[in-house]
Order: sequence, then C-alpha cells, then structure tokens
Amino acid sequence: MSEPKEIFVRLDRCMGCHSCELACAVEHSGSKSLYGAISEQPRPKPRVYVESVSKTPVPVVCRHCEDAPCMHACIAGAIRRTEDGVVITQSDRCIGCWTCVMVCPYGVIGRHLEEHKAYRCDRCPDREIPACVGACPTRALVYRSVTDFSRHTRKTASAQMLGTQGG
Amino acid sequence: MAGERDAMSKSTDPAIREMIARAARMEIKTVWDRYEAMRPQCGFGDTGLCCRHCLQGPCRIDPFGEGPAEGICGASADTMVARGLDRAIAAGTAAHSGHAKHLAHTLLKVAKGRTGAYSIKEPGKLRAVAARLNIPVEGRPDNDIALDVANAALADFHEKETPVLWAATVVNPQRAKVLTDLDLVPRGIDHEVSEIMHRTLYGVDADPVNLLLGGLRCGVADLAGCYMATDIADILFGIPTPVVTEANLGTLKAGAVNIALHGHNPLLSDMLVARAHTRNEDAIAAGASGINIVGICCTGNEIMMRHGIPACTHSVSQEMAIVTGALDAMVVDYQCIMPSVASVAECMGTALITTMEIGKIPGARHIAFDEESAVEKADEIFDIAMANFRRRKNKPVDIPNIKTPVVAGFSVEAIVAALSKLDAREPLKPVVDNIVAGNIRGVCLFAGCNNVKVPQDNNFTVIARKLLKENVLVLATGCGAGALMRHGFMDPANTDALCGDGLKAVLRAIGEANGLGGPLPPVLHMGSCVDNSRAVALAVAVANYLGVDTDKLPVVASAAEAVSEKAVSIGAYAVAAGLPTHVGVMLPVLGGPLVTRVLTDKVKDLTGGYFIVDLDPESAAEKLLAAIDERRAGLGLQSPKAS
Amino acid sequence: MASSGTRYVIVGASAAGMAAAEAIRATDRSGSVTVFSEEPDLPYFRPLIPFLISGRKSAADMALMGQGPYRGAGIDVRIDSRVDRIDSRAQTVEIHNGERLPYDRLLIATGSSPYIPPEIAGTDTEGVFALRTLADARAAERRVAGTRHAVMLGGGMLNLKASFALLERGLQVTLVVKSPQVLSQLMEPDDAALIRDALNKAGLKIETGAGAVEILSKGRGVSGVLLDDGRTLDCEMVCIGKGVQPNVAGIDPSDIRIDRGVVVDRFTASNAADIFAAGDVAVTFDPITGGRIVTGLWTNAVDMGRCAGYNMAGKPTEYGGTFGILNATQVADVAFVSMGIVHTTGRDYETHAHGSRGAYRKLVFSSDGTRLVGVLLVGDISRAGMYRFLIKEGKPVAKIKSHIIDHTLHYGHFVCPDTGKG
Repeated sequence: MSEPKEIFVRLDRCMGCHSCELACAVEHSGSKSLYGAISEQPRPKPRVYVESVSKTPVPVVCRHCEDAPCMHACIAGAIRRTEDGVVITQSDRCIGCWTCVMVCPYGVIGRHLEEHKAYRCDRCPDREIPACVGACPTRALVYRSVTDFSRHTRKTASAQMLGTQGG
Repeated sequence: MAGERDAMSKSTDPAIREMIARAARMEIKTVWDRYEAMRPQCGFGDTGLCCRHCLQGPCRIDPFGEGPAEGICGASADTMVARGLDRAIAAGTAAHSGHAKHLAHTLLKVAKGRTGAYSIKEPGKLRAVAARLNIPVEGRPDNDIALDVANAALADFHEKETPVLWAATVVNPQRAKVLTDLDLVPRGIDHEVSEIMHRTLYGVDADPVNLLLGGLRCGVADLAGCYMATDIADILFGIPTPVVTEANLGTLKAGAVNIALHGHNPLLSDMLVARAHTRNEDAIAAGASGINIVGICCTGNEIMMRHGIPACTHSVSQEMAIVTGALDAMVVDYQCIMPSVASVAECMGTALITTMEIGKIPGARHIAFDEESAVEKADEIFDIAMANFRRRKNKPVDIPNIKTPVVAGFSVEAIVAALSKLDAREPLKPVVDNIVAGNIRGVCLFAGCNNVKVPQDNNFTVIARKLLKENVLVLATGCGAGALMRHGFMDPANTDALCGDGLKAVLRAIGEANGLGGPLPPVLHMGSCVDNSRAVALAVAVANYLGVDTDKLPVVASAAEAVSEKAVSIGAYAVAAGLPTHVGVMLPVLGGPLVTRVLTDKVKDLTGGYFIVDLDPESAAEKLLAAIDERRAGLGLQSPKAS
Repeated sequence: MASSGTRYVIVGASAAGMAAAEAIRATDRSGSVTVFSEEPDLPYFRPLIPFLISGRKSAADMALMGQGPYRGAGIDVRIDSRVDRIDSRAQTVEIHNGERLPYDRLLIATGSSPYIPPEIAGTDTEGVFALRTLADARAAERRVAGTRHAVMLGGGMLNLKASFALLERGLQVTLVVKSPQVLSQLMEPDDAALIRDALNKAGLKIETGAGAVEILSKGRGVSGVLLDDGRTLDCEMVCIGKGVQPNVAGIDPSDIRIDRGVVVDRFTASNAADIFAAGDVAVTFDPITGGRIVTGLWTNAVDMGRCAGYNMAGKPTEYGGTFGILNATQVADVAFVSMGIVHTTGRDYETHAHGSRGAYRKLVFSSDGTRLVGVLLVGDISRAGMYRFLIKEGKPVAKIKSHIIDHTLHYGHFVCPDTGKG
C-alpha cells in the first residue's frame, strides 16, 4: 500500500484568495456546483480556513492527527478514523455537544448552527484530490505523502541555496 | 477516443478541432490551453463578489456566510454585484458607441469633403435616417444632410437638453413612454457611461435596484450606439442585401495571399475589400493565385453582409485561422481580438497588423489608420501581406477542407423588400399573418460570442435546432451568426431538414416569390453585433404594424455563449426593450440574491423583459419556447402543443 | 513491550476501561484483555443517556463497541459481572459469583456513583432517580408517561441535560439549586446571564437558593418535594444530580492507597504492583494548580484510560492531568465551553471579560499575566481547543495575548510569527 497523502500548506505561496474555502463549501454542498450551492439551505460550510497573521494569509486545515483528540473526546462515538487514515465526523451520530471543538488544538472543527452538528474536513472522499487543493491557484495547498512532501521541500531548499539555477 | 471527446468539449466545429490538434502537435498554446491553466476560476469573481473599485480593496464577500458579509465600505453583496454589472454595461456601451462615433466622424469628414476615399453610398438611407431625426431633407444636397446627421450623431454623445435621438426615435411610441416613465431614456451616450463610472465609484450609489436601473439606462444608450453604427455604416458602405458566400477555414486558399480582417469597424475593412482588386495583379506577380480576403468576427460580418466576403472563423477560434499556416496577414481594428494572436502569428509567420490608436498589441506591427490616408494605408497592408506570402509560399499549410454555403445580407430593408414581393402594400402582413396563424410560432435572435466555457457553437446550434423545429423564425448577428453559419444554418439547402413545417413553408414562399428557386436559409443573418439594432428595428416595425408594444411580441433573444461586456450591454437593452433574454453562461451576479431576482424576474414588472440564465441549451430552448408561448397567449394567440 | 500472553484485566467497562482496553489492544496484540462490567448492558456512551429519555436515541444507538475509536476487536467484555474483591498478592480478581480470575496487569476503572445527600429524606422512593446508567435512564423513561411535573435537585450538567430531555417529552420541569444560579461549578453568577436567558426561553423553571428537605410520596411513589423554605412542589418525578463519588467499594485501602479515589502516580499506577487506575475512580492532578482532583468527565476518563492502557501494555506514557473543569455543551440554543480556572472572584487572577448581544467570554490569566489558566466562552465557542492547549501546556502567551483577549486567536498565530506590522 502506498503511503497515505496529506494536505500540506506552503505558506509562502498563499495569496489569501480564499478560493479553497469556496471550493470546500461547494464540495460539501448538495449540488456540488458553485451556482447551485450559493442558494442552498442550510448553507454549505467550508472546512478550511484562511486566517491571517498581520498581512500574511495562513490556510488552516484539519491535520487528521495521529492521536486525534477530537475522536477520543467525542462523547457520542461520532468521530472515527477511516481505513484511509482520515478522521471523519459522522453527522448522524453527532449530538452537537461541541466537545470536539473544545479539544481540537488547531481550531478547525466548525459548528453548523442550523443543523446543530459539528463538521470538519473529510479530505473529500469522492475526489481524487481534495477540493481545496484542486482550487488553489498558486498550489499553496498540496496533496502529497509526508515523504514526498519533505523530499520536495528539501529539493527546493537546496535549489535555493545553490542560487536558483534555471530561474 | 478520449482525445476526440476532449476535442468535442472544446469545439463542435470539425475544422476547428483539426486545428486544435495541429496546434497541440506544434505546441502552440491556444485559448483552450489557457482556460485549462486558469481553472478552477475564482469563485468570488465568478459570482460577482469581488470588488476592486477602491484602494481599500480588494474586497470579497463570502457567499456562504462564514466570512465577510459586506465590503470594507459596507457595500452589500447585492450592491457589489450591481456595481460590477453596471460597469460591464458601461464598457459594452462605450465600445459599441465608440465604433459609432468613429463612423460619425467619418461621415462628418465626407460631408465636409475632407476625405476622398469615402462617400455616401446610400443616399436613400441617409435621407431616411435624417427624416427620422427630424432633419430637413427636401431639396437639400446629400452632403448638407450628411453634415446635419453627423453633427446630430456626435451631439448624441454628450449630455444635452434633448434625449439621445438614436434612442428616442428608434423605438415605438409605447416603448418610448415606458422608458420615459422609468427614467430610462439616456441623456447622452458618453454621459450615461460616465454616470455609471460615477455612481459605481467608492461611496456613491449603494442601492442595488437603483444601480440596476442606471445600468438599464446605460443599456438603452448602448442601443443608441449600436443603432447609430448600423445607420452610418449603411450610409457610407451600403445597405446589405442577400448574398451567397461561404464560411469556415476552408475559405482560406493555399495558393492565394490570404488576408483575414478581424475586429468590428467596417471603416478599414471595407476599404481593403474595395481596393483588393487593384492589387490582384501584384499578388499574381508574387506567385499567388490572387488576393483572398476573409473575415473574422464582426468585421467579417460587415464585409460578408455587404460584399459577400467569406467568413474564415469566429470569436473563440480566431487563433485557429493563423494555425492553418495559410494566413499571410491578420489585420485588426478593435474589440474581441485576443492578444494571444500575436504569439500564434509569430509562431506561424503571419503578419499581425494593428490599425487603431486605442488597440495596439505587443508583437504586432502597427499601421495607424485614418480616413485621410485610407488608400495608402490599405496598400501598405497589401504590400506586407504579399511580402509575407513570398516567404511562406513554398511551405506546407494545413487548411481544413471544410466550408459551408452561406446566404447572408438580411438587413431590415432587405427583409422588407423580400416580403414586399408577397404583399407590396403591407410587406409585414405576411409575416404577422403567419405568426397569428401559428406557422411562425415566434422569433428568436441569436447574438453574442463563443465562450471557451462552452463547446464552441454547441449552445447556439442545440437551441437553434430545437427552435427551428418548433417553427421559430431565427435571426442571428455577430458571432452567434458566425456559429450558425459554420454549421449550415444559413444554407438554404438545409431549410427543409432543419425547420418545422410551418416555418419551412413561409421561408419557401418568400424565397420563391423572390425568384430564388428555393427557400430562404433557415437562419437569417442580420449582421454584426452593432447590427442587433436591425433586429430591434424589425421588432419595432412589427410592433408598430400591430399597434402593440415590443414586450407583447413573441420575440426572444439569446446570447448563448456570451463573452464580451458588449454582450452584457446588448442584453441590458434587450431587456429594456421588453425581450426575454437568454444568457447561456453565468453572469457574475449570482452572489447578489436580490440582484439575481430582479434581473431574472422583478424587472419583468418594469420593462416586460427579463434575463433567463440557463447553461443547459436543451432547457434554455424550452424556456425560450415557453416565453414565446406566454407572449402568444398574451396576444390571444394559440400555441402549438409542445412536441 | 509486555511479553506476549500477558493477561490484562479491567474492572469497569465505561470510558476509562474501554479506552484502556483499546489502547492495550493497539499496543499488545497477543495478550488477553478481559473487561468486567457490573451493568447488564454492553458498554455504551454514558453521556448519551439523557437521549434515551428524550427519545432521540435508542439504547442500540448508544452502543460503544464498533463506534468512534472503539473497535472492540479481541476484547472480552463480561457484563453482569461485579468484581467483589481484588487480591493484589495473588494477582486475582473475584467476581460476585465466586469466580476468580488471575491477572498480570489490572486496571481499576470502576467509575463513580451519584452522590445522594443523606440529609434529604425519602430518596429511596419510587420515582426518584439519580441518572447514571442506561438502566436508570430506562426506568426514568418509563416514569415519564405518568409524570406531569419533574423536579430536578441540583443544577449541574447532568441535571440540565436531563431537564431538557424531559422538557422535550412535554413535561413541566423545575430545577432546584442551592446556589444562586445553575452551573455554578462551571461559571460565576456574573458570567451566566446568557445561559440564564436561554434556560428561561427554553421553559425551564429554576428555583435558586433552595434545597430539598424531603421527598414526599403516596400511591405510585413520588408526589412532591418539600423545600427548606417550607414550600412543597407537587411532582411525580425527582432527579438527583448532586455530583458523583468514586466507586472504591471492594478495594482494600490497606492494600491500595485511597484518598477519595485511587491514588496513582504520573504513569497511572497505584501503589500496588501491576495495578493501575483511571477515570472517575482515580485521583488525578490539575496541571494548572498541580493539586489532586477527582473528576466525573467522560473525556478525562478516556484520556486517562488510554494512558493507563499504554502503561499497562509496557509503553510508558505520562499522564498530563486534567482540569477540574472541562465542559462543553449547548443549553437551549446557547453553546458554552468552560475550562480551567473560571471562578475568579476574590482571587488573584488577571481576568478579561467581554459581553455582547449573543456572546460572552472570560479569559483568565495567571496573576502575572503570562499564562492562560481558564476560559469561559458562551455563544461563540469557536476554536476553543486552542485555549485548552495553551492552558494545559502552560505556554507563555505574551505574543498572542491580545488575540486571546479579543477571541481572535487562530492556528495561524502558532505557525507564523505576528510581527505586528500593519
């Protein structure tokens, strides 16, 4: 089995356009199209958050922690890990007690107030590449395995040290 | 077969698909490649929720309610999208009327005898336009009338006491009253554009409905610009009459000096067409079979309508004309010219020549065109094209062997003349009688562009096919006409196959009465995009004949693959004129729920017109038919059962 | 790593016990894991029992095994099996039917029981409940049919949740609390305005500053509650929610050290060899104050149970302690989170409180202002977990303090240094 992929953020590339948020909300809508999603009730929610620190945009997304505190804290057994290693919230079991919100150190679990359910990144099970990654115009969000990502990061770093050969 | 499916998703025109494959082989980037690279496109822009009108921005509103609900200034989503739409309408208006103003200046120069290259080709039209404008014509020489008409035209641009004449005098009296009551009569074309820029400025108009009404008034100013452009072009270059010609890349000739004229204004293109025969010998001397002029986009429509010049291709596929390798020169003026043609031309060795001071492209050769030196400039262009031919004549070219017969040239005057063969006293009577009888269910005008988001021509052809079968009389302008002509919709040989029985009989009766020995083509080509004015003129004539307002007529419009902001302004005046107007791509307004509701519904209570936004051509056709039937019912006419 | 064949025995099959069982299974695939439960039901999510009363969930919906992180594979759960005696020298446990079972590692996860104040008379009357188990909830649910008015004694989380369940069933519900407000353990009176409004809006009647003296009965059990101010509240059901106490019966205090609960070290081990304890029954410590506490929180029990499981299976894991207060929930339509130190009146803390129309927050810092020690969020509880992290880790917060006070903190502040430049 190949190493599972994760969503990585390359901070230096993020332009703060919030396209990932829109794409995420659309992917988690009934119609799965922007034009349809825009008028849906209850409103589709994004599960990726482009925050900002001073003027630097910082996309924040669920890490699907190895030791997911949300999953263990859930008092309703609504959070589990799929075979692909993705931590998901089962909406039908969620009772809206917000314990997961209270324990998530990344602050990436949302509360759907109309539905009284918690929601979070599910890595887009219907897609090969998560919608946020696919929507990122500058590839600030990438979907890779840990090994792949760190190898790439090292390569980039060494290329920079060598004086940006080849432009 | 995935490749073929992929190609079909780009263009339904087989000639273009051949060239897309060729471009791919040659590693030439095309509009489709750039579109792919651009995807996914920004959802905020897509829904109109991105505002850059001030330096505090950019602002974007989150349509899903998690992020900002208003701009930094406090503008709501509806305010934001209404402002954006208004600016699109203003840009379209500025373009059409800029084209018209250019022609008005030429007419003024002709009247003052300052240019020998141009003349009044159509004194009858000059006098008809003057009469409509209340300019005395009796016993006056053409030049004097032309001077008054040109001055009246130029006066229509600035704010003045009287309304814009090209708006106020071109609509039927009932419509004039509707527009007056709603304060939609423009006071100056440039003035309305300027007003839009003012009211959409940081901190001016924040009322979405007020903004939309302002946009509609600017739309009426756009009608004025279009109408004026058509009028003056007809005066200077002639009223189109039916011509037989052909369309598609197969009109290029490997052995000829191929010159494509691309853009919009007939000013230069008509001169090149007129001068071509004087240079044919030179072309032959250069080793060519002659000079072969072809058209692209609306410049192509202008010279096709008046001179039967073949159309090479249109809109989204403009690069493909160059990809054939057979084009020696592409001469452009303004509007709808993708800057990318410069790099494609460089790859293929085509000379790209810009001619307008406001429309230069890096990588192109610029020949500053003016009326005074029109002949010399035209000759300079021929020289460049021939020099280029000498360089490429022994190199292989790849011209798809695909072209379709086209009968074009249906100006209102030409249509009325054709109908008068059936009823000399009341030429419109046969059409109206057939509408009443249900042989013609209604009328649909196709206008606008090809949009890369739609498989080229697919929306036009799918909807037109359905409407023709349902006996809807189909008119077309601009690149909508271009799409339909390349798929055989302007070939009389296809009338029987494409049209329902009622429509077929009417087209055949008119054709035979005019000695064509067969029917009119299934779709009537009315001209370039400014010539949407011709469709308005026809609708107004029918409305006047019936004594009803234009919003009661079973007439609809469709910009099925719109691109340009000009399509938005045309849509605005179609709605102001009371027409149900289909747009087949998404307008960037969906982020404003109120604005969306007003445009697609509420505005109906004001002007009778409204937008139908539907990206699916099948259901769009159903909606257009339903709109036609609703209007038939309003007139007390029965509609055939949907088949 | 424990050698293969290790016999793990766990007493108690709720949060701590089952979390420990899963942790053992994840670490040691070959040892045997046996969990004893005195309840007649297979393990279930105990906090869900009010939903059985409201009718929103069935007992089957609450089953623990196979849900969330609980796979239950290779875990032998024995229900209806009360452990009567632990013999730490012989390393055996004795079941109430006399069966004895040897262990190599033992976890005491017996949990807690409701505290029934002895000063209230008649608490054994039919129709008096202290909701703890699924069986309790079933009995209470059966009583709903003949009940018009229910009186809830105690204003803690359990009784509040039960109150809402009964309101949902159409009962009239009165909450009787001795303190001047409900949820006094989780917030101070000044902090509770929004919650109070929400409870009123939800139709819950609250009697503050009152206590029960006697539960009255006639015929079919409960008929009313006599209050200490002399009033009598007619009712057909009474629920007691006065907190819990560790279940230490059956543990020999001369053998295993007990101080309210079972005393354990940082690695969840008791003083007796190979005996661990976790959950409500264990005495743990508060990382903020360092003080010893016992809590009755599912989330804590899971946390500590997992930690114990790892330790038992030979993977030394230090337990980070827990806050005495760590609660999130929603009453009526108002969400709140309370954690760490939130009772500040008259104490030496730096406190920042801010209220607006639909939200209230109180951020409590150490007296020198360098560390976050407590947070109360009402209404807008977004990203609360980041505060929990800061409190638990005792991180210096100077650089992000303004964001904490304004409740604008987000993970970006941890990733990217805030230069403070425009």
